[in-house]
Amino acid sequence: MPRSKARQGSPFTGLGPVFMKEFADHLSSARMTVLLLFVIAFGAFPVASSLQELRTVSAADPFLFLRIFTLAPERMPISFALALNFIIPLMAIGLGFDSVNSEFSRRTLSRVLSQPIYRDALLLGKFLGGLATLAVTLTALWLIVFGAGLLLLGLPPRGVEVARAACFLMAAIAYGGVWLAVSLLFSVIFRSAATSALCALGLWLFFFLLWPMIAEAITLGFAPSQIRSAEEFLAVEQMGFALLRLSPGTLFSEAVLGLLNPETRTFGSLLPAQMRGVIPGAPLPFDQSLLLIWPQITGLIAGMIVVFAAAYVIFQREEVRA
Amino acid sequence: MRRLIALLVLLASAAGASPATAQSQPAVMQGLFLLTDYPAQTVRAGEITTIRVKLQNSGLAPEAMALSLSGVPAGWKIDILGGGQPVASAMPGQNESVSLQLRVEVPKDARPGTQQVVLSAKGARLQSAELPLALTVGTEAPAKLSMKSRLPSLRGTPRSSFEYTVTVGNDSGKDLTVALSAQGPANFQTTFTEGFGSNEISSIPIEAGQTKDIKLKVTPPRDVKAGDYPVLVKVASEGATAELRVTLQVSGQGRLALSTKDGRLSGEAEVGKSSTYTLQLSNDGTAAVDDIEMTGSAPTNWKVEFNPKSLAALAPNEKKDVQVVVTPSDKAIAGDYVASFRATARGESSAADFRITVTTSTLWGVVGIGIIAVALLVLLGAVARFGRR
Repeated sequence: MPRSKARQGSPFTGLGPVFMKEFADHLSSARMTVLLLFVIAFGAFPVASSLQELRTVSAADPFLFLRIFTLAPERMPISFALALNFIIPLMAIGLGFDSVNSEFSRRTLSRVLSQPIYRDALLLGKFLGGLATLAVTLTALWLIVFGAGLLLLGLPPRGVEVARAACFLMAAIAYGGVWLAVSLLFSVIFRSAATSALCALGLWLFFFLLWPMIAEAITLGFAPSQIRSAEEFLAVEQMGFALLRLSPGTLFSEAVLGLLNPETRTFGSLLPAQMRGVIPGAPLPFDQSLLLIWPQITGLIAGMIVVFAAAYVIFQREEVRA
Repeated sequence: MRRLIALLVLLASAAGASPATAQSQPAVMQGLFLLTDYPAQTVRAGEITTIRVKLQNSGLAPEAMALSLSGVPAGWKIDILGGGQPVASAMPGQNESVSLQLRVEVPKDARPGTQQVVLSAKGARLQSAELPLALTVGTEAPAKLSMKSRLPSLRGTPRSSFEYTVTVGNDSGKDLTVALSAQGPANFQTTFTEGFGSNEISSIPIEAGQTKDIKLKVTPPRDVKAGDYPVLVKVASEGATAELRVTLQVSGQGRLALSTKDGRLSGEAEVGKSSTYTLQLSNDGTAAVDDIEMTGSAPTNWKVEFNPKSLAALAPNEKKDVQVVVTPSDKAIAGDYVASFRATARGESSAADFRITVTTSTLWGVVGIGIIAVALLVLLGAVARFGRR
């Protein structure tokens, strides 16, 4: 790379205006309203029914507040956390699938780039704008759930519960970021918004429906014909988990499990030798839970950055004049 | 055939000879007898006295014997009782006897003096027996109780219970209800039970002239010091008391207790790294505990080491610190575990369950941050490589 081609000035010049514009566009768009309605419909029902059920619980539960998020009510067999597991990708894809290619189709990209704004800043601004919108929506939803819990349960959450719930919110935003980066990548690759949306949704469906089955098939294929010891079984199980963890949804649900169910010690099976002396049902300290799910959080954040980097590289190499 | 007859005759004569030999043995007194322990008794005016009488038939054929009384003073009422019912005759079998009671009801205004009463039994044949009884109206012998114990001194540890069998006798002519009490040192528990029964009793009826066995159980307090402790057993009824002193010889016993200085039985340990906790071993007993061995059981592949591993002796009320080094296994998973530590001496042991919160190393957290940093570096590299203009 010749030195002369090196640019001058910060790549972040113009990041602020792009971010603000994107953020404002998202928040005022009709699509946002639809997504919000969607989120409220999917989020409110599990929370409302789990709150109904929690109000009848009389057993002392040190983590009662966290159960709002994880309790799967009888009438509706999904919990709030599970609902978020598939609403967040939809929201993120909805926010990002046409972020770059719409500029192409409206022929506004060259006009924007003729301003003192680098391509880097444009892409990063679009991504950050989407992420901020997602964060605002999720935070609002989170606060609504917390407020409803305070109102209907009538007891304040403990500090450690707030901390765990806040980390859950962070994990949700990171999970949204992964899918936002994926939809941004597709919006850079495909000039047609419809194709981009289809590809992003297809990938989501693939991970959501098909991947668990494929992972199982692969695991069974590699597993020895006869499992003779607990160690072999664990090895096979570990491989299955490793494959499943390629899906961001698995990472997110494991992170949720570790954060919101403090009793979670590990995600796989335990050897009988490891079970000896264990006090069942004892909650892990918060920092230990964080350490337990730290790989998952790392995977989500690093995945988001890597996918964004791929989108960036492709965008940089694209011909803009059209 | 003739031989057989001869044999039979021989046998018959042998059988016939045997009663004759029995008769020739030292004389068994034949006859009918009326017996009582005390033919001359004291009775009290206005009260009822029961006299036990036995009709003994020695070597006579059984026969119904009509019973009668003669010489009963005016105003007195004497009933002949058999099996609790008034009876008019008795029929003792051969070499057997029939128990009878004379229920003597003396009028209140009976004059002091001796009255002769004759109880007679007459059979249809010539057999008869008589029993003259001299009943003296007078001031009755005062109620009197006696008490004795075969084993008045027992030895044991503070944890054993001491059981004394006490025989209480009613030496008066009246049935008495006897109240039982025992006085021991403070905090000694005493209970009375009857003979082999399990019910606790506080009083017991004793018939005139009879004795009863009662059991006294003394439980010393656990923290009692070695030494001799007297317990005063008292029985009392109307106008009569008796006392007996029994002794407990309590020998000392050590008692181990395993805990920590502040009583907290939990701690933290990092995976694969040793953590040290200080346990406190104390002897709450009354004697020294010898040869104390420390053992511990922890989850699989954990290491538990004690320092010191064993103690030669621990005097009463002495406390000693024991360091325990716990190393969770490398493959342990974060969470709470139970490890139990045990101090064992001869006949004594104490265990403490310790709750250990296993934490994992924060190393992986740093690795995670490193991975994110690498991802950011990739992004920065892409910016540097593909940045335009």
